[in-house]
Amino acid sequence: MKTKFKKVVLAAASATLLGAVANTVQAANWLMLQGTEPAGAGKRAHVWGFIQAQYQKDDSKANATDGYVPPKLIAPNLDDQSQFNVNRARIGVRGTALPLDSNVNYFILTEFGNNGITYPEDNTHLTDASITLNHIKGARVRMGLFKYPGAEEGLQAIHVFDYVNFTSVTNQLLLERFQQAGNQATQTGDFNQPATPSPNADMNQYTRSVGAFRDVGIQVFDTFKATDWEHSYALMYGNGNGLNFGDNDDNKDVYLYWSSERVFGGKGPRREGWKTFAWYEDGKRTNPNDPTQEQDRTRYGIGTKYLKKPFRLTAEYMKGEGMIFMGQHRPLHQFNNKEAEGWYLEGGWYIPGTKWELDLRYDTYTRDENFVAPIPPTATPSAPGDETEFNTITVGTQYHFNKKTRLNLEYASRDNKSDTAAVEAQQKGVEGRFAIQVTAIF
Amino acid sequence: MKPIVHRLVAVLLALGLCVYSLQASAAEKSFAETKVVLQISDNDPFKQTLVLNVANNLIKHYGPDQVDIEIVAFGPGLRLLFAENVNAGRIQSLVDNGVRFAACNNTVRGMSKILGEEPALNQNAVRVSAGVVRIMDLSKEGYQLIKP
Repeated sequence: MKTKFKKVVLAAASATLLGAVANTVQAANWLMLQGTEPAGAGKRAHVWGFIQAQYQKDDSKANATDGYVPPKLIAPNLDDQSQFNVNRARIGVRGTALPLDSNVNYFILTEFGNNGITYPEDNTHLTDASITLNHIKGARVRMGLFKYPGAEEGLQAIHVFDYVNFTSVTNQLLLERFQQAGNQATQTGDFNQPATPSPNADMNQYTRSVGAFRDVGIQVFDTFKATDWEHSYALMYGNGNGLNFGDNDDNKDVYLYWSSERVFGGKGPRREGWKTFAWYEDGKRTNPNDPTQEQDRTRYGIGTKYLKKPFRLTAEYMKGEGMIFMGQHRPLHQFNNKEAEGWYLEGGWYIPGTKWELDLRYDTYTRDENFVAPIPPTATPSAPGDETEFNTITVGTQYHFNKKTRLNLEYASRDNKSDTAAVEAQQKGVEGRFAIQVTAIF
Repeated sequence: MKPIVHRLVAVLLALGLCVYSLQASAAEKSFAETKVVLQISDNDPFKQTLVLNVANNLIKHYGPDQVDIEIVAFGPGLRLLFAENVNAGRIQSLVDNGVRFAACNNTVRGMSKILGEEPALNQNAVRVSAGVVRIMDLSKEGYQLIKP
């Protein structure tokens, strides 16, 4: 507990220090953008949403026995190396139910696209349903299902995300997968699956939606302005059960967040500024295959984002302990007390006088540091020294047809390696991945 | 009975002072060649931005001393003059350039019933007995009515 407290203090101190050191600071204030409506100017019911249609092609090669693992296949189906997909189609309503009273606002959003939220369970899933009470100055209260305060890549609005795919560290460390009880022998529920020949591999062995950086709970938050600076905080207490309305155990998650930013100008999700932030989340998970077993799950990180056209620069570092994701084909390996960490650095250049933007990102993620024997049941136990590294360089470009519609083109060059021979054999053939995506916001 | 009479007198006095205040402000600009009254009576937040933009553009075009602008808010449009409104900064900036803001007292009373308390208004808002009457009075004085 003392160690955790130290980490919280360190995280907060880092944010404060970074904020103090920075001469200029931040981008969008997601806490306010997602959780509140403009005072005195909110709509009763603002219908909005977005559609993302994409094509992806993976150039990875099969292993020695013609087998494929998830990194070589296109998500969420994981049964082929090329795919057209409507990966996101969301529609929602937000506003101030009684426009005369800005103290109460709401937000509801539903996902109809094909992704980790909808693929495992059904074709439709509510992603947000929250109410915010703004009666207490300095302590707004938001309750319901919504994005928890955390890393920029997860907290930001996905329809303005500058890339098609997440970094490995965000995808594996933060985008939580939730296990169901599974039986390896009878292959029911969630079970592990060895590399499978493609096509028709369907390596996605999870039967529950990903967490989508969301939780059901209560959050106290606010933003304080001082000249050009904005300081924001958030404290959240939630189920730690992703998009599910109810809880699956007695354990709750705690989330802490702080950001300091200097605002340059503009408004909305592409507001110009320089932001530094730190966050921490902690909870416990119950083993679905043995409810007597519990495992701590801790994540924390710091980051900074600078946006002043024509330049954008973002850097984040994240670390996690417990419940480390071991692959979409290996749900039974997820209940573990391993460690992992990673970081990314990305930048963008809005070519002056054009509608084009160039993007470049490097991300790295190391899984299974400081090996600890996996908790049974596992089909293929890891061996000591089983560290796997995921390194990716993504080169991309965006063409902004208008403020609401844009095209993303990107190519990710990947270099994965592992200390374990079996994993190394699978990761060896992982190569580039091309993606094209059109986003239309309405 | 007396307290009601007292309240009535107090309200009338307050409104009288407000109207006097608006007239005094208008008198300061009586030499302006262009006189405009802008109406905001819509619930749409976009209209709030629009009416402020129009006022700003008029000042830019004619110059702050050459145009006399009053923005009259009533009905759902009164939200523009709520103290908490996100456009408070822009309103202050326009006031600094001589723009006047009138708030309909009939609307304030109606909203008070719905909210259970009187909404706090922007400190720059001057109450008038009725927004529509204020617009008609200004029209008689040669103001051009624009409803963005």
